[in-house]
Amino acid sequence: MNATNGINSHEPNALILKNVVKEYPGPPTVRALAGVSLLVQQGELLGIIGASGSGKSTLLHVMGTLAKPTSGSIFIDGLETAGMSESELAGIRSHKIGFIFQEFFLLPGVSAVANVANGLLYSGIKKTERIERSLLALQKVGLSHRSNHHPNEMSGGEQQRVAVARALVNEPTFILADEPTGNLDSKSTESLMKLFVELNQSGTTIVLITHDLEVSRSLPRCVTIKDGLVESDSQLSQEIAHA
Amino acid sequence: MHRNTSPRSHLKISDIFLVGISGLLTRKVRATLSALGITIGIAAVVGVLGLSESGNADLMRELDSLGTNLLTVEAGQSFGQEQAELPKTATSMVKRIGPVYEVASVSRVPGKVLRNEYVDTGRTQGITIFATDLNLLNAQRGELASGTFLQEATSHFPNVVLGSVAAERLGIRNASGNHRIWLAGQWFSVVGIVKPFPLAADLDRAALIGYEAAERFIDHEGTPDILYIRAEPEHILDVRSVLAGTVNPEHPEEVSVGRASDVLEAKMAASTTFTNLFLGLGAVALIVGGIGIANVMVISVIERRNEIGLRRALGATKTHIAMQFITEALLLSLIGGLTGVAVGALITAIYATIQGWEIVIPALAIYGGIVVALFLGVLAGLYPSLRAASLAPTEALRTT
Repeated sequence: MNATNGINSHEPNALILKNVVKEYPGPPTVRALAGVSLLVQQGELLGIIGASGSGKSTLLHVMGTLAKPTSGSIFIDGLETAGMSESELAGIRSHKIGFIFQEFFLLPGVSAVANVANGLLYSGIKKTERIERSLLALQKVGLSHRSNHHPNEMSGGEQQRVAVARALVNEPTFILADEPTGNLDSKSTESLMKLFVELNQSGTTIVLITHDLEVSRSLPRCVTIKDGLVESDSQLSQEIAHA
Repeated sequence: MHRNTSPRSHLKISDIFLVGISGLLTRKVRATLSALGITIGIAAVVGVLGLSESGNADLMRELDSLGTNLLTVEAGQSFGQEQAELPKTATSMVKRIGPVYEVASVSRVPGKVLRNEYVDTGRTQGITIFATDLNLLNAQRGELASGTFLQEATSHFPNVVLGSVAAERLGIRNASGNHRIWLAGQWFSVVGIVKPFPLAADLDRAALIGYEAAERFIDHEGTPDILYIRAEPEHILDVRSVLAGTVNPEHPEEVSVGRASDVLEAKMAASTTFTNLFLGLGAVALIVGGIGIANVMVISVIERRNEIGLRRALGATKTHIAMQFITEALLLSLIGGLTGVAVGALITAIYATIQGWEIVIPALAIYGGIVVALFLGVLAGLYPSLRAASLAPTEALRTT
């Protein structure tokens, strides 16, 4: 063990996956993840790339505690998630993980700031504070002036920024972004990637899952997934699996 | 420090309501339509209960003021299908029955009542002459509209008191104008006019004169035709059972005994039957309304699959999701219930006002209506919300 792999460092790693296997009961049994090990340190901006069917959606689900792995272990901010109950996992999601989806998933009929505040709804924070922090989050993504607008009054790029603010607002250990640029034009994509870099520079850990090589090429670290296994990692961290 | 304590999801009660309300506000038309079913059902139930209570309150008030202890004795038909007569002693015999405290008799006097002597005798206006005891008003709990009733002194003279219909037909509005009428070939002075008798419509078309005057001026021998009897209410049935035998011991079968308030009670019973019918209809409307809400909620869960997935990703537990949908169903039914109660009460108030009734909206209908609505809401929301809660987050987040 040494400090370089981060496990025993004072700063806990944001996310550790050790030999994670996920099988979907059949017949036939589908092995979506065949033993994935991955370490994400705090402050990283990392892309996970894979073709469809490679297992990257399943990887997103287990990293986000939305699905439980069949075997292997996952540590989020130093907390082992195996053996946690459904509601404990919900607690992890409400405090430690920020999600961004390809489809934005903004609630129609409520304002941008209310959508962002939903990111804090399940964390037990008072409404006034939720609104305050949501306005700050909107400011971070450059949408202060749109806080009272409804999703249908905004462009796709703006809507995804609102979703980014919603993921940021609970100051999570890391943000999981699932194909965040999938529904955006190239200009909005560029501007969103720029925002991710900015957020990362100010300390936010971001895991970005994509099949877009263009997008992944701009990232400091790329992990390629194929057939449920890590095929390549631009910064080899697989050694922890053997640790 | 926080490494070893796993954080928890919390959703405040006030937030559950905010989430529910915003869920409904986003789909206003649908929410309104699905609440409408409950509104109609509750309005029907509250309206029916309110109207029947208001109507019954009116009947009860009438019954109270008239009393249920008025018995009527009339001559029935004799064995040979002829009109029988009451014995002359009838009044004094009835007075001997212990619980009887008031007996007033009237006797039909043949003759016509005309405005004056020049009116064609064919145009009688259907007014009957009755010789009456002086306590008739007490026995009937009748009231004077004008003038005085016959008294010891005035009943010996050609004085007459008119029933309300009789006065109207003769064109006499009050008793102060020294009006005279041509009654059985004699001039009689009108000394009083009586308000309508609630329990004896016959008397409204009557010209009432004293027994003495009838004998003196019209040569009518006063055999009573009808007795109005007031008895202690608790003994009313006993009195009723012995009346025929007391009035005419020889031919009790020729005596017909009636209870005036029976008509009102029959009216009330009839209205109860209708109330039950409409309550049944209201219950059907409520069930349909409840099914409507359940239906809308099921559709809502299917449509809002992604929202459920998102909320799970944001940290909502299964319980939070279930509570959100139950709250929406509850709010829908509560809105439906409250507007239903309001509409039902309004209908009652309007109808009762038109009918001149006192407005009575039973508390049971108001609270019962809201409780039933909430109960329906829980029932209707249960299955959809459990379905929403059991949706796996990965499944819910799928977009295809």
